[in-house]
Amino acid sequence: MESLPRCLPEGAQNISTGGFNRFAGPFYRLPDDGEVRRFAFVVLDKHMNSAGSVHGGVLMTFADIAMSRTSRLATGADRCSTVSFSCDFMAPGHLGELLEIRVRIARRTRTFVFLSAEIASGERALMQASGLWRIA
Amino acid sequence: MSALEGYEEIRLIDPFEIHVGPAFARGRKGARRYALMVREEHCNMRGVVHGGMLMTLADLVLGQALWDATDNAACVTMNMQVQFLRSAKAGDLIEVEPEIARRTRSLVFMRGAFTSGGEAIMTVQSAWKLLKSE
Repeated sequence: MESLPRCLPEGAQNISTGGFNRFAGPFYRLPDDGEVRRFAFVVLDKHMNSAGSVHGGVLMTFADIAMSRTSRLATGADRCSTVSFSCDFMAPGHLGELLEIRVRIARRTRTFVFLSAEIASGERALMQASGLWRIA
Repeated sequence: MSALEGYEEIRLIDPFEIHVGPAFARGRKGARRYALMVREEHCNMRGVVHGGMLMTLADLVLGQALWDATDNAACVTMNMQVQFLRSAKAGDLIEVEPEIARRTRSLVFMRGAFTSGGEAIMTVQSAWKLLKSE
């Protein structure tokens, strides 16, 4: 068993097994909260920008990974692709913080999933995101 | 040193941009073209460039273009809207000439049409906040 960061809640599972997900991660899946799918990561040095905040690209990557994973979990599809993604950066994240994303499905059709999500550090909201995924 | 004809490597300073780089630029101030060569690490398990990597690239090059237009004004990304039109794979060159759609005292509205091999792969719109200088 790999050792997970101690600040992660029980039941966390590493989902960064390969590709860019692994290069940018590690990211973790947390136990669901009812209909809400949850994921988390711990901010490392490599995730930062020069202003001392988490890089926007990291937050967008984390959201894309969590929302793609949710699309596949909800539909049973083994592939999906992001069609569109929109986000607002509300507050900066900091080194060492545990950031969590909560993903909700707004609507599902045979070939598309509409999703929304928020990234937070504790009670502090950092990003809101929404997007459309095509399932294959 | 530049691996790409006509381009020069950008000196990146953000740790995450250094992690995903290198990135390149060419052209004159205010009208630069930016490029990135897709590497294996940028791709997902299906061998196509990851959406998160493309959005990271968008944040990187729009930020560079904004710095270029404002003599390195301190700025932060407020939002980003992205459409993924086509995929790219390792070895593909992704290019963009970011545009400033409008600039106010505190906000800059930017857009970028990213291409690879002459085909559109991603369109981006993004608003940036200019921070008060010290």
